[in-house]
Amino acid sequence: MSKDKVILGFETSCDETAIAIMRGEELLVNTISSQVDIHEKFGGVVPEVASRAHAEMIRNIFHSSLNSANLQISDIDSVATTDGPGLVGSLVVGYNFAKSIAWSIDKPLYTVDHMVGHLAAPLIENPNMEPPFLTLLVSGGHTQIVLVEKWGDYKLMGTTIDDAAGEAFDKLSRFCGFGFPGGPAIQRIAESGNPSKINLPRPKTKHEYNYSFSGLKTAATNFLKNIDPDDKITRADFAASYQEAIVDSLMINFTKAVKETGVKNISGGGGVMANSRLREKMNILANDNNLEIFLPSPRLSTDNAAMICVAAQNDLITNDLKENDVRLSSIIK
Amino acid sequence: MYSLSISTSGKYISVALFSDKLISSSSVLAENGNTNLLMNSIDELTLKSNIKKSDINVIYLDTGPGFYTSLRIGLAVSQGICATLGIPLISVNGLDALAFAAHTGHRKICSIIDIKRDEYAFCTYKPVPGGVVRESEPEVLNENTLKQKLNEDNEKKLIVGDWNELNEKIIGDSSYLKFGSPEYVSAEHIYNVGKEIYKNSDFPNFNEVRISYMREPDISFSNKSLESEINFHD
Ligand SMILES: [Zn+2]
Repeated sequence: MSKDKVILGFETSCDETAIAIMRGEELLVNTISSQVDIHEKFGGVVPEVASRAHAEMIRNIFHSSLNSANLQISDIDSVATTDGPGLVGSLVVGYNFAKSIAWSIDKPLYTVDHMVGHLAAPLIENPNMEPPFLTLLVSGGHTQIVLVEKWGDYKLMGTTIDDAAGEAFDKLSRFCGFGFPGGPAIQRIAESGNPSKINLPRPKTKHEYNYSFSGLKTAATNFLKNIDPDDKITRADFAASYQEAIVDSLMINFTKAVKETGVKNISGGGGVMANSRLREKMNILANDNNLEIFLPSPRLSTDNAAMICVAAQNDLITNDLKENDVRLSSIIK
Repeated sequence: MYSLSISTSGKYISVALFSDKLISSSSVLAENGNTNLLMNSIDELTLKSNIKKSDINVIYLDTGPGFYTSLRIGLAVSQGICATLGIPLISVNGLDALAFAAHTGHRKICSIIDIKRDEYAFCTYKPVPGGVVRESEPEVLNENTLKQKLNEDNEKKLIVGDWNELNEKIIGDSSYLKFGSPEYVSAEHIYNVGKEIYKNSDFPNFNEVRISYMREPDISFSNKSLESEINFHD
């Protein structure tokens, strides 16, 4: 794809209606309309509520994105969209909106796997990043260690066998009444807390790179039900200790994988990668081992459409779906 | 100048192209989850009819009631095309379209549309010269309340829409009930109502078109708080 071409990208796989426009390497707009307020009262993303919100918001976000980029529809050279994995009812909105725009202006439509979008996200700020690299993708929907040997060649080294890391944050935050989404809420409360105040487990699995968070969740809720008032446990201490347990668990396996693969570059992505404690630990890992680190900034770590644009620009498209369904599972298997 | 009409609310993905009259149409069974059917149908139809996309000057859309995901695909596709081509989008209620297409001179018309989970969208109409008028507001009924509605009086009724798969028990002793066509909403039915709305210029901007879901979203997990009494020190 020529480097000064304008690409319009869509990402609606979960609860963010996201549209981005890039001209070559320049990110012109990165609009993310979050539905957090809508889902907050349920303590989680309700699929039907999310789909309705996408269907109502997408055309307005499209117009405001074009306006802020100061572009006309006729300036668009190509369109890209996530085609999965994600919530089907949400995916179909962005996918079909994108497809009908591409059709109307006779421009190509590129379909990008959501996870490949996360893998490619560092390219937005570091266009020269090259594989091989090892990346840690963590959000409410995924917890994966992926080795990118070269573009298109993705090896899943570890994944969660139960909850995703983001779910572990959400569930305890809900249990404590800290708010939704749990990650940012717990991070905020944790700021003034002591991360080593409470001894919580760092769960292990049989497979050395896999994750499990359900044991940690149970240990934490059991602890909370039986707090000894003499221990003077504050909210901040609990939040900091719980956050530390999740971050440690993530880092233990990732560090092992870095050593095992001998990669020189590391990266990350997903909503949990916006967590400041996790970013700090990723940077320490890089420093201690002389690794190059390409972490997308927090706004590009969480779901966004710029990562879909940049994946399409670099020909990291997954396939042309033709007669097939919107993909339900990642190509990273 | 051409109009494009779309209905995705039920079992069929139905698309039609009109000038003053029907040019060409297609109806395909909506395979579960195939999200490309609508765009593919529109593409095939315009190619086959040799129509330039920029010659489409209005879209008529079935905005429900019906199957939610399919309705959203219809809305997303229509709004994408309308936004790009700068053309109006006319929203047509599927119950109205069914009643308008029903053939009766005197019977009261009952439109029924399956909205899944054993619930039905329902509305009654009176035939008048040149068309129909709503007798009631559209409502959601389950099998029991639908049975009551259909049998509450001995007035002669013509039932149109999704009656075919209704349990016989619901229909009851139906000497005064007649079952007729259409049995599903098609793009042509939508066009016939939509063109009247378009003619009267009484329609909102395409940005404001909404889907007629007719019920609150299904909340699949409990929305009651899991929050516990925790004896934090602060
Ligand atoms: Zn994601």
